[in-house]
Amino acid sequence: MYGKGLKSLSIATLAALVVSLSLVFFYAPLDADQGFVQKIFYLHVPLSIVALVGFIVGGVFAILHLRSGDSRWDAYSYVSIHMSVIFGVAVLATGSIWAKASWGHWWVWDEPTLVSFLIVFLMYATYYPFRYAIEDRDRQARYASVFAITAGAFVPLNFIAVRLAQSLVHPRVFATTGGGLPGSMMFTFLVSLLAIGLLWVTLVKFELTAKSSSGQLKRLRRALDAPAAGGRSRVAPEVS
Amino acid sequence: MLALLPIAAPALPLDEAGKYVAGAYVVFLALIFVYVAIMAAKLQRIERELHELASFAEQGNGEPERERVTADV
Repeated sequence: MYGKGLKSLSIATLAALVVSLSLVFFYAPLDADQGFVQKIFYLHVPLSIVALVGFIVGGVFAILHLRSGDSRWDAYSYVSIHMSVIFGVAVLATGSIWAKASWGHWWVWDEPTLVSFLIVFLMYATYYPFRYAIEDRDRQARYASVFAITAGAFVPLNFIAVRLAQSLVHPRVFATTGGGLPGSMMFTFLVSLLAIGLLWVTLVKFELTAKSSSGQLKRLRRALDAPAAGGRSRVAPEVS
Repeated sequence: MLALLPIAAPALPLDEAGKYVAGAYVVFLALIFVYVAIMAAKLQRIERELHELASFAEQGNGEPERERVTADV
């Protein structure tokens, strides 16, 4: 069910990534200020935008789960958050490399943008132990949804707070007053954003398909094993 | 359009910045690769279990069970 259209989506994602990388290295001009190292921007910023939007999407799915009680929405919420956490790791890694190249430090603690992202990331890192500390599946899903909604609401608030803060070192590329990117850089950035967004969607779909297959397999095992209830199991135990 | 890109492309300045840019992109690709490898291992496990259940079903454990399994799949 979840695997429908996965093949074409994967091909589109691969094509978008190839085009994006080609534009980054062969089309977008070198930044006058940072030079070649600014190429990290086309990876780091789309990753962070997609990760943060993914967290919010996880919250939206959690709302749908609480409203309908359908466990499918809980699965969507879980996988969205899971994928965004993975993307968050990439954001922190690429950001640290860029910081080292530009500022000479792997991490700057007095920079609100960095620290706020770290706070969001660590908050979502607690999602897993929080979720799996609850054994009852229904309660687990409900509590996880409440977490996802609360944390999802925190993400845009956090973003606004950081934008309002006076930063010392982190650049404001999408400034509200003037500045901004030249056309070729903006075009490259938007293609990169599309490619990373497609990658997120593809991996979410991939993960959902694997989870669904695993769930169906467990159902099949239970169905086959049911007549032997009371006696010893006829099928080998599930491998978790 | 893609074929023309390398012609129009400026030479890549592989100075000090090159290793950082390469590092960032390699880290990203490595993360994706690790994720795909984990997913591949999961799919292998699912395939193995499915094969095991199919073998079990084929061993002839009564027609009603087989019919139910077929309907589920």
